[in-house]
Amino acid sequence: MSAVAPTAITGLGCLSGAGMNLAESMESLFRNERNPHPPVRFSTDHPASYPVLELRDEFKLPLDEQESVYARTSQLALAAALEALADAGWDESSLRGKRVGVCVGTTVGCALNCDDFYRSYKEGAEPGMEIIERFLRSNPAAVIARHLKLDGPVQTVVNACSSGTDAIGLGASWLRAGACDLVIAGGADELARVTYAGFSSLMITDTEPCKPFDLKRKGLNLGEGAGMLILENEAVRGTKKARGYVLGYGSACDAYHLTAPRPDGAGLKRALNEAFTSAGISPQQISFVNAHGTGTPDNDRVEARVLSEVLPGVPFLSTKGYTGHTLGAAGGIEAVFTLACLQRGEVPANVGFTEPDPELAASPVTQNTSITGEIALSESLAFGGNNSVLILGQGDA
Amino acid sequence: MGVKEKLKQVLIEDLNLEDVEPDEIDDDMALFGEGLGLDSLDAVELVVIIQKHFGVEIKDMEEGRPAFQTINTLAKYIEERLA
Amino acid sequence: MRMAIQGIGVTGAFGAGVESLRNALKSGAGSPKPSSDTSDAGLFYQASVEGLDEFFPKRALRRIDYFSKMTLLSACLALKDANQLDADRSRTGVVIASGYGALKTTFDFLDSYLDFGYACSSPTHFSNSVHNAAAAHVSIQFKATAPSLTVTQFEMSAPSALLSAQQWLAEGRVDQVLFGAIDEHCDVLRYCRQQFFAAGEQGPLQPFLFEQQTAVVGEGATFFVLTPETESAKYAHIDGLKLGNHLVCPVQLPQKDLLILGADGHKECGRLYAKALKSKEAAAYAPLYGSFPAAAGLDLAVAALCLQDRTRYANPEATSTTPQAHQTLETEKISCLKFGPGGDYGLTQLSV
Repeated sequence: MSAVAPTAITGLGCLSGAGMNLAESMESLFRNERNPHPPVRFSTDHPASYPVLELRDEFKLPLDEQESVYARTSQLALAAALEALADAGWDESSLRGKRVGVCVGTTVGCALNCDDFYRSYKEGAEPGMEIIERFLRSNPAAVIARHLKLDGPVQTVVNACSSGTDAIGLGASWLRAGACDLVIAGGADELARVTYAGFSSLMITDTEPCKPFDLKRKGLNLGEGAGMLILENEAVRGTKKARGYVLGYGSACDAYHLTAPRPDGAGLKRALNEAFTSAGISPQQISFVNAHGTGTPDNDRVEARVLSEVLPGVPFLSTKGYTGHTLGAAGGIEAVFTLACLQRGEVPANVGFTEPDPELAASPVTQNTSITGEIALSESLAFGGNNSVLILGQGDA
Repeated sequence: MGVKEKLKQVLIEDLNLEDVEPDEIDDDMALFGEGLGLDSLDAVELVVIIQKHFGVEIKDMEEGRPAFQTINTLAKYIEERLA
Repeated sequence: MRMAIQGIGVTGAFGAGVESLRNALKSGAGSPKPSSDTSDAGLFYQASVEGLDEFFPKRALRRIDYFSKMTLLSACLALKDANQLDADRSRTGVVIASGYGALKTTFDFLDSYLDFGYACSSPTHFSNSVHNAAAAHVSIQFKATAPSLTVTQFEMSAPSALLSAQQWLAEGRVDQVLFGAIDEHCDVLRYCRQQFFAAGEQGPLQPFLFEQQTAVVGEGATFFVLTPETESAKYAHIDGLKLGNHLVCPVQLPQKDLLILGADGHKECGRLYAKALKSKEAAAYAPLYGSFPAAAGLDLAVAALCLQDRTRYANPEATSTTPQAHQTLETEKISCLKFGPGGDYGLTQLSV
């Protein structure tokens, strides 16, 4: 493929265990604060407890009576989308008559894994359909489109942990294709008991706060949240300043194993190369990398290896110490963080890292670090062997 | 039924090794890689199988890895913890 | 850009393989069976995964669930149909659309901890219940190392995912896309449908009775081998896609195209089809395969067959205003229209 034109990003929105909006999140990132704790919203009978990063405040959608109507994931998606739209200067009425696409990544948001309903069904209690009706109403991308009365392509991407990154890359391609004038793109996922049970069964969760890239890393902490970008084509954007640009996107599949990454990182390298090609830049132009960095032994080993080979000496960090692994939301939240850090000219420390692993060829930044340069990279690695990379450019001054 | 026989049976059933008979699994055969050909996903499933059928907990894979070499090592691990 | 359909693989109640779909079109007969649950008087268009052992040794499939088996079978059939079983797939992307994902496995995972406690949660079931597991199995088995995408969008899954496939081809990210649409049935879904539609799904499925609930549940899989436009596509080309919301901005239906409706007996969507059609004539083939979101893929396969065969196959459930017999296809283009209950629509246009 050849280089593509940059896509303007005019609005950012995010919420997670790090903060209820972007400003709050950046404060806690740069204070290097995190708050992993045993789950509050549900309990299990696991012998061990695995810390998670739930949303800090009692989450309230910025609208009345919606909480029982939509599942939590789509509420998170909507909240971040509304923050991003406000940031970009749009609302429901100003979007009228425009063709607006919605592309959202998720995992939990699309799964019919309502365990209380199912338990009741198994017991022959013939549960009512309220939970199912809520599920049918709650496809995250469809919720945003319906709430804002939008007309345009709508897609919920379920590529596991790379969904958010993929949604942004795909959304940008819709604009280039002329399929719509604006796109709301990103990811959302809630913390759920089913996922907690699933990840702990895979033995990739840590009983301590996670330690991305650290010698003593034992696994991830789960989190929840949403991160959204507003992408606009030039005709619609006019003279409005961009908050950033999607310069390039690349994706490739390991085709190796359902849950383990390819040890040689071939898929990630290919995704990186495709991203550089689509952005028309060289690796030397990257000023920092927001890594996937979940804190699992396998992921961090592969990523460090590839980063040291393809982007030697380029500062990198994982923000998953602050947010936990937010699954489908991760790519969205981390794109928002990457753009905000580019704007600020600084990246936060890779919280959780204290001791280098001699097996890893590279280590992340250990303190808040100044960044010069206008281009950064965010990458996500997923179950199923997906590797996805976004190259993001600084906005207009 | 002895631990080894039961292990072979539950491995075949729970890992869906349809084309394998219990007497085809030698007690000393490597379970992972060459041998029975199990992989990392089977390893974590094996932890669940042992919990479910023998009530023995394996806390992490560092503990599990040496035990998972063969039927012999696995049976020994289980028997030690049941005693 | 236009996408050429170079191979089709399908499985559903009509059988497996494109010839079985063609035979069903010719005979006009659907084959729903009684539900295996004797307490349920409803019917079910059940698919099959027979024939997978032609392509894979049994051992390779030991951890593959029913949803992924339907996926792999129809993907293999599509590749075989395109004469591509042995091709290099380092530039082949994989796109999968599903309304509900691997439902059985989702509940198998819940069973593992509800029945035995959280310490016995099955990692294998969990991994397979993640929605992109089927796409991962396709990539792994076929060594497809280009991008992979899975979309879950209820009725809009197939048209929405097709838009992204088109973009990958247009941007040169891939040279070929293995595009699939799959949905499976399960006991919980049966229970939910009984609760929603009370009468049970006794059939017959009558898509043109727009005001009535006549849906009968089905399952199945469709795969296409898609490439950029060529001089001679084996079947047809997908010209373009439009996605939007009819209740926000009404869909403009092409005047001269043969219209194939994704109407499948759900009255909530039936109203939308009636409103959009006004009294325009259309075709609908859901009585051959049943009601499920990914049946939108089968509608596209039928469109491709109509174009290849230059035949407008008779509606299986003919009405007084639609042809009772097969006819020569008069038009150059076919448009497949699929509605979701919220007014969202996908309009896919195909031509030779």
